[in-house]
Amino acid sequence: MTPLPPNDRIFVLQLVQLSRRFGDTLAVAGADLTIVRGEMVGIIGRSGAGKSTLLRLINRLIEPSSGRIVADGVDVTALRGAALRAWRARTAMIFQQFNLVNRLDVLTNVLCGRLNHMSAWRVLFKRFTPAERVLAIRTLDRFGLAEVALKRADALSGGQQQRVAIARALLQEPAMLLADEPISSLDPVNAKAVMDALLDINRTDGITVLVNLHTLDTARAYCRRIIGMSAGRIVFDGPPEGLTEDVLHAIYGDDVAEHP
Amino acid sequence: MSLHLADIAPTDIAAQRIRTPTAFGPGTGTKVLRWAVVLLAAGYFGYLLWLFEFGKLFTGLPRLWTIVRLMLDWTGFADWDHAELLRSMLETVAMAYLGSMLAFAFALPLGFLGARNVIPARVFRFITRRLFDGMRGVDQLIWALVFVRAMGLGPIAGILAICVADTGVLSKLFAEAIENTDRKQTEGVTATGASFFAVLRMGVLPQVLPVTIGQTLYQIESNSREATILGLVGAGGIGLRLSERIQINAWDQVAYAIVLILIAVALIDTVSRWLRMRLIG
Repeated sequence: MTPLPPNDRIFVLQLVQLSRRFGDTLAVAGADLTIVRGEMVGIIGRSGAGKSTLLRLINRLIEPSSGRIVADGVDVTALRGAALRAWRARTAMIFQQFNLVNRLDVLTNVLCGRLNHMSAWRVLFKRFTPAERVLAIRTLDRFGLAEVALKRADALSGGQQQRVAIARALLQEPAMLLADEPISSLDPVNAKAVMDALLDINRTDGITVLVNLHTLDTARAYCRRIIGMSAGRIVFDGPPEGLTEDVLHAIYGDDVAEHP
Repeated sequence: MSLHLADIAPTDIAAQRIRTPTAFGPGTGTKVLRWAVVLLAAGYFGYLLWLFEFGKLFTGLPRLWTIVRLMLDWTGFADWDHAELLRSMLETVAMAYLGSMLAFAFALPLGFLGARNVIPARVFRFITRRLFDGMRGVDQLIWALVFVRAMGLGPIAGILAICVADTGVLSKLFAEAIENTDRKQTEGVTATGASFFAVLRMGVLPQVLPVTIGQTLYQIESNSREATILGLVGAGGIGLRLSERIQINAWDQVAYAIVLILIAVALIDTVSRWLRMRLIG
C-alpha cells in the first residue's frame, strides 16, 4: 500500500492529463493543474462543463478514465481500500444539495466526519468519543448552529444545512475542501454566509479550498485564482483580472450574460 | 350536404352493408359463438351444483341454525375455563410478536444482501431474491404443518412458521426500501472517507429504519389475526382451543373465543397504528 503523506504535508496537488469519459462524452478532458497548500481557487464554467466531475475525481468518488492525481509525489489514483478512504477524509467535499443524512440529527451528521477514524464496532453503536463530541459542538458553534445540534438535519433551512455540511467536512480535519456549487441552492444572504465561512476556513485554518461556482461575481469576490472550464477542458487559469471578454467568451460561449 | 334519416333508402342500406359489414353489429358467426360460451358457462355451473350435491344446503340449514342458537346461549359463562382461553389468546399474540420480531432480526441483514445498491453482483442477488420468494411463496399454514410434524404440537411450531414466512416477506420489502434510498445522502457519507459498512450504518440504515419498523409492526398486527388459523392445525394459541371446542360441539365457547379474538385484534390494530404514526411521521 502506498503510504500517504501526513495531512499537514499535502503541499502540492497535481492533476496530470486527468480525464473522465461518460459514454460518448468527455466530462473532463486532459486536465493539468497544480494547486498549492492554502490557495482558494474558484472553478467557473457552464453547467456540464465538467466542474463537478473534476472535484469528484479529486475526492475519488469517481474513477478517472485516464491520467493521474499526485499529492506530494504520491500517486493518489493508485490508492485502494483504507488508503483511498483516508484520502477521501483529507479532501472533504461539500455538495450543492448538502447531502446530509436527513433522519440523523445535526450533531450526528457532523460527527460523520470522524467515520474514517472509527472501528466498525464504534460505528455500529455510534460510539463517538467525548472529545469528538466537543469538537463537533464547538465547530457547530463556530457557525452559529450549536442550538440546533439535536434537531433533525432536514428540519433546518438550506443555508443552515450547508453550514452543517461544512462542519462535517471540518471534523474530517482535511487538508483540502472541495465545494461543488455550495451556494447554488441558496438565497443571497445564506450564499454570502456560506462563502464567508469557506473564506474563513481558508484564511484561519489554512485549508486549501477548491470551489465550483456558477456566478462570476462570487468567484471574483472570493478567489485570487480562477480556473475556467468549458466542455471538459481547462481554458483559463489565472487571477480574476485576467478574465477578459475573450476569455469569458471561451468559458461561457454565448451565455456570458446569464452568469453575472 | 345535409343528411336526413328519411332520405336513406333500402338500396343505401344494402350498399353500405357491403362496404362496411362490421358497422351493422356482430356477424352470425360471432353471435353463435357468444351464445355457445354463455350456454357452456351456465351448463358447467349447473353441473357443479349437481356434482357437489347442493341439495344438502337445505338439509344442513336447520343444523346451521342450531349452531347459531347454541353460540348465542351464554348461560354457562361462569363455568367456562376463562383462564385457559385468555392464556391461549395471549399465547397467540405472543406467537405473532415473537415470530415477527425474529423475522425482523433475520430480514434486516438479508434485506441488505438482496439490495442492488449493496450487492451489485447479479448472480448473488438472484439467489437471495429467489430464497425470499421461496419462503414467502409457501403459505404460513403449510410451514405450520411442517413444523408441527417436526416440533410437535404447540406454539414453537407456530412461531417458526410465522418467522420463516415473514422473513421472506420482510426481506423483500427491506431490500426494496434499501434500493430506494437517496443516493445523495449516502454519497455525503462516502465522501468523508467512511468504510462501506459505515456508509450502510450511517447513510443507509437511518433512511430505511422507520420503514422497516413500520412494516414489522404491520406484520405483528396481521400475524395476530393469522396466528389463530395456525392454532387450528395444532401450532398453539387460541386456534388450538377453538378447534378443540368445535370438535366437542361447545359452540357457546367457540363464540366466546371468536369475540376474544376480535377484541384482541382490534386492540393490536389500534396500538400498532398509533405506534406506526408516531415512528414514521
